[in-house]
Amino acid sequence: MFDHRLILLATPRQIGVLDWRPGHMHWLGEFSASEAGLAAFRQVLLNHAQLPVLLVADTVDEDYRSEILPHVQGHARSELLARKLKQVFRNARFTGAWRQARETTGRRDDRYLLASLTDADWLTPWISVLHRERVPLYGITPLALACQHLLSKLRPQAPHTLLAFRLNNRLRLSYYHNGHLRFSRLISTDTPTQLPGNAADEIAKTQLYLAGQRILPREARLHVLLLDPSGQLDSAQAQLNTDPAFSTRLIDLQSLGRALHIPDAFLAATPEIAPLAAIAGETVQLNLAPPELLQRHTEFLWRRGLHAIAGTIALVGLGITAAYWLHAQDLIDQTLQMAQQQQQLDARYQAIAQTFPVQAATPEQLAQTVSLARHLVSQPADTAALLAAVSQALSAEPDIHLESLAWRDGAPPTADGMPIKLDAALTSFDGNYRAAMQRIERLMETLRAVPSLHDVRLLTSPVNAESSSTLTGKTLNAGASNGPAARFSIELVYREAIP
Amino acid sequence: MTRPPFAVLKLSLILVLAALLLAGIGTLWSRGKALDTQAALLQQQAALNAAQQKLDRSRQQQHLIDTNLADYQALTARGFVGAEDRLAWIEAVQLANREVGLAGLEYRLTPRAASDPTLAQDLPLGQTAMTLTLPLLVETDLLNFLVALKARAPGLYRVQGCRLSRLGVPSFEAVNQPRLQAECELLWFTVAQTRAGTS
Repeated sequence: MFDHRLILLATPRQIGVLDWRPGHMHWLGEFSASEAGLAAFRQVLLNHAQLPVLLVADTVDEDYRSEILPHVQGHARSELLARKLKQVFRNARFTGAWRQARETTGRRDDRYLLASLTDADWLTPWISVLHRERVPLYGITPLALACQHLLSKLRPQAPHTLLAFRLNNRLRLSYYHNGHLRFSRLISTDTPTQLPGNAADEIAKTQLYLAGQRILPREARLHVLLLDPSGQLDSAQAQLNTDPAFSTRLIDLQSLGRALHIPDAFLAATPEIAPLAAIAGETVQLNLAPPELLQRHTEFLWRRGLHAIAGTIALVGLGITAAYWLHAQDLIDQTLQMAQQQQQLDARYQAIAQTFPVQAATPEQLAQTVSLARHLVSQPADTAALLAAVSQALSAEPDIHLESLAWRDGAPPTADGMPIKLDAALTSFDGNYRAAMQRIERLMETLRAVPSLHDVRLLTSPVNAESSSTLTGKTLNAGASNGPAARFSIELVYREAIP
Repeated sequence: MTRPPFAVLKLSLILVLAALLLAGIGTLWSRGKALDTQAALLQQQAALNAAQQKLDRSRQQQHLIDTNLADYQALTARGFVGAEDRLAWIEAVQLANREVGLAGLEYRLTPRAASDPTLAQDLPLGQTAMTLTLPLLVETDLLNFLVALKARAPGLYRVQGCRLSRLGVPSFEAVNQPRLQAECELLWFTVAQTRAGTS
């Protein structure tokens, strides 16, 4: 869309219009330099308003100069070129300069091609129409430059190439050095170039001129490309081939069509579109249009840039809005799905909750209560085993009289076992405390021997022989039967024996 | 490209500004909508998580009920849950005493007290101490009494301890006269019933 443009081929007698965009082109016709032609041309421009326009001039009134100028840049270069163009071409309106290369030696100056339309009065009516209709003209360039792009598509191998292009009964001879335009001339119909021999002569004269002007090195062999849709240059090839200074190649329409991707029939009907199609998509390197004629195109570029920016902003905004909106829709969908899931969960919860019995306690309290009850009644004390264990020990000591037996059980039971307190007295005590203590000690040993009885220790003894306490009593005669009782207490722990 | 010709670019500049404005409005509007829906999604996510947790909890509760309801109801019937039934305890002690054939016993019940919190496990567990004094012919009478009481006990209790002692040396051996005395301390446990309901 951005590359859609009109390419005009202007000659002093007529102007042709090519509607071009990449991959497509349409020949809109030729319009003579008359009132009717100008009106028709204006109508075509109106029908293609706001399309940039390139004007390709094909006239004999053109001039080319090669110049070596100091290498400067920016504003200095502009001023330098303006002075040089004014100096070379005097008061010509349509002039231009093309910086083709930079010297590799010396000061490394710049090599320029200066060009001018020395007589462009015939162009004024067309330019006026363009100006009135505010057409964005982006360049005026000679046909030789368009032919340069045509040449590049033909890919010639020789460094010195002369393109002989016969169009509308006029022969244009353009010289290119390494693919860059150096010189061109048009031989009009007034000269008898329709004869092939004359065309060969003109080519030979041009070669001599180029050599004389030192544009073409004297020893260089000139490669001549003959391009003539009407086929009248075919015989010139044989004449040129006899001269070792030339090598020739005839370009037929098929080769040209393939190079330019144009159907042969279309090219045969309108051969003038070949150079126009070649330059249509290219940058104009040699622009002869004065700056005031390019003002509309400058405005066009700004307008198009701003419109592109506005479009880009709108697209980006639309894209971001769409992305956010789609994201929001996605989130809404997720929310709805979650809401449905929540409803399902709630329904399942209600179904479960309805099965709950009417209970005073929560299920957790209920389970805790049951667990606590189990814990409270777990591992009850085995009183029978406890009594049996103590009885086993006491049976071994018949002269011990048990007075009381007490035990305590924890709630809950602990691994430490049940503490037992045993109060007893020695029977047939004769006052011999030493013997009594031995008997008590024997009882304690017997208790310790029982597997389920542990930590056996004497709590109180019949007599307290500690140095820190007062000890009173009386001795008994031997054989006394009713002596004082020898009471004592033993503390021990009962733990059920592990089998 | 030289200095922009602003005079002829007014419409284009207005177009750019309009595009900027529309893009900004669209972006802000859609962003606000996205943020609102994001917040709604998070809220819904939280509600869904809560519903899921509620359902999981109800399943756990259902499992707890299925596992423990019968036992709990049995405990309630036995009197472990609810107010303490002292008359039933006394009756059980009397019946056990008669079954074993003891002469008679004395009992004493202390006021109900809260149990140790480590034992209660946050439940309203209370304990009532019952002190029994009973004469015995032989030591096995105590064991028989405890077994009989266990069979008849209407609630949960635990024997905290016993003391067996002789009643003194009789002047002569009389038949069927108690020679021993047992003093036992029992702890009766009860859990007060609270109205909590299911959740």
